[in-house]
Amino acid sequence: MLEKTGVPTETQIDSAFPNETRLNEGPVAVIECFQPIPCNPCAMACPRQAILPFADINDVPVMDNDKCNGCGLCVMKCPGLAIIVVDINWSETKALIKLPYEFRPLPQKGQILHALDREGHPIANAEVINVIVPANKTPVISIAVDKDLIKKVRNICIPEDNDSIVCRCSDITVADIQSFIAQGYTSVDELKRITRLGMGACQGRTCIPLVMRELSTALKKPISELTSGTHRPIVKSMKLGDVAAYGGKS
Amino acid sequence: MRKTADIVIIGGGISGVTIGYFLLKHGAKNVVLLERDYLTAGATGRCGAGIRQQWGAPLNCRMSQFSCEFFENAQDELDYAHGIEFHQGGYLMLATTENELEQTRKNVALQNSLGIASKMLSPEETKEIVPLLDTKKILAAAYHHKDGHLNPFHTTQAFANAFKRLGGEIYINTNVTGITTTQGKISGVDTEHGHIATTIVVNAAGGYSQAVAALAGVDLPLHSERHNILVTEPVEPMLSAMLMSFSLNFYCQQVPHGSFIMGRTCPDQPNDLRITADSSFLEAMAKTITDVLPSLKNLRILRQWAGLYNMSPDKHPIYDQIPQLPGFYLAAGFSGHGFMMAPATGLSMAELILGLEPTLPWKQLGFNRFQSGELLLESSVV
Ligand SMILES: Cc1cc2nc3c(=O)[nH]c(=O)nc-3n(C[C@H](O)[C@H](O)[C@H](O)COP(=O)(O)OP(=O)(O)OC[C@H]3O[C@@H](n4cnc5c(N)ncnc54)[C@H](O)[C@@H]3O)c2cc1C
Ligand code: SF4
Ligand code: SF4
Repeated sequence: MLEKTGVPTETQIDSAFPNETRLNEGPVAVIECFQPIPCNPCAMACPRQAILPFADINDVPVMDNDKCNGCGLCVMKCPGLAIIVVDINWSETKALIKLPYEFRPLPQKGQILHALDREGHPIANAEVINVIVPANKTPVISIAVDKDLIKKVRNICIPEDNDSIVCRCSDITVADIQSFIAQGYTSVDELKRITRLGMGACQGRTCIPLVMRELSTALKKPISELTSGTHRPIVKSMKLGDVAAYGGKS
Repeated sequence: MRKTADIVIIGGGISGVTIGYFLLKHGAKNVVLLERDYLTAGATGRCGAGIRQQWGAPLNCRMSQFSCEFFENAQDELDYAHGIEFHQGGYLMLATTENELEQTRKNVALQNSLGIASKMLSPEETKEIVPLLDTKKILAAAYHHKDGHLNPFHTTQAFANAFKRLGGEIYINTNVTGITTTQGKISGVDTEHGHIATTIVVNAAGGYSQAVAALAGVDLPLHSERHNILVTEPVEPMLSAMLMSFSLNFYCQQVPHGSFIMGRTCPDQPNDLRITADSSFLEAMAKTITDVLPSLKNLRILRQWAGLYNMSPDKHPIYDQIPQLPGFYLAAGFSGHGFMMAPATGLSMAELILGLEPTLPWKQLGFNRFQSGELLLESSVV
């Protein structure tokens, strides 16, 4: 799962969460970092040693939940955007989630936006409670969501009009894609052929993931069940003249 | 999926959708089209979609004249908002050998006698039309201003939409796995999603038509050949006409979106059903095109791919009913020019299946010609 789609399994997610007692006691960091990689800013960031010091830089972070006060310093430091802070009892009905958010524009305090699941699907509306923009670190957005969504919501999306360009090589907008999906083009290959998306200089590197998200939303199918279309040679664009010169020699 | 149909068409390429459209237009009912993958998954979605009326046999001139006129009016007739991007920027056929020049002159004379306004151009006149061209190898060119190219995806979709509006049904992702017969006649098709009972099946499976015929135990005199093609990054419009040359072995066009598309015939291609891309094509193509259009040397290649030409013994398609299996029709063997003939294919097959008077000389395109030895000669095929 994780290797293919970037989405952890339920067991992995459960293992990252503190037990219910600790959750109820107040804000706490949840680190969804499952693969040994040479990375340790989280442990360095925590002023309370709640993230246990690493013996080796490849260690995966381990928490002492009782030491954590949910300050969020680790959230803004983690380059993998793997950490959130959860405050389950923020209000009677809502939990507060502090999320790292790298995109621009940043949302505004009080704004209502889409809360996204790990695959990027909007699953609820969320109110922005706070926006922290630290210098040279990742901004942290606090949002209020229904309590039962704390294991699901992992990103936000500022609602925008459908004129956003998905394929910059061929000027294809979200609205174009949605309209072709509605006409029955239900795979990346079909959409590619009819719209030319993914056929420009970037060879689909920018747009195909966005298109798959649109397909996944429209078809109500997880992204893991979709294919990203046929990949054609050549891997990197080459000048006709260079290929001709090479062909002449061989 | 429905359980019965009057007519089942196998193959969702340009041939399948045009046949479906003309059948319904001429009064057929309950017509179903089955496509293994998605519309245009076969040669149709891989082709250059060059359209020309410059042929060396009267039959092909007639078929392509009809088709070209159809494409000119397709937007209205098929009522397709996006349009099919038919770019009538002209089509140049370059002659570089004495023999080729001779043949080209004969062809132009024939075309003119049939009302096709092609003409011979000197190298200088050719260069006026294509300033990018290096004319040193060129003796002359034949030119027809009404030829050109179009967008195969939108054209197929336009026919498919019109077919559906007239009541036709299209099932994509539906592989035909068997063809059933009763007492020597067609009785239905098996698909991965169930059986459809029908007495008429049309095999329009392009490069796979032999495999589809084999499902009914029929052996066809056809084989498939891999052909490669490439596309470059889009640039400002600089080549309006489509270019081709038999002796130089290439065709090339700039599509409205700005990319150049080009192909050539490579020796030693597998003639099984493989369509993986071949890197030797890339080198030969780059060399050919930078000789003819030297300023393209700085243009970047983005992608290459391949598709199947479905070849017949005389490089003409077969439009016929399988003699030993009534109800089993075939429209295949297009030998690399089935796109431009598609409206003629659709009309001819509809007339053949519905027993109507021929508008076009499709009777010459039956199996008979292989028995009688009256093969159709055509000098202008790649
Ligand atoms: C590189 C290249 C360049 C070309 N350039 C030109 C050109 O410039 N001008 C021109 O006129 N022609 C050109 N052609 C030829 C043209 O593409 C074909 O003649 C034409 O598209 C054939 O259309 P079709 O519908 O008969 O076959 P196809 O488009 O191949 O369609 C056959 C369909 O049948 C489906 N199928 C197969 N088996 C089954 C099954 N068992 N069940 C259900 N469905 C099945 C396939 O998935 C496919 O979609 C070119 C071809 C190639 C490969
Ligand atoms: S939220 Fe603060 S206290 Fe908790 S682990 Fe992160 S840095 Fe340490
Ligand atoms: S900083 Fe983030 S990615 Fe790196 S080890 Fe810590 S949690 Fe994992």
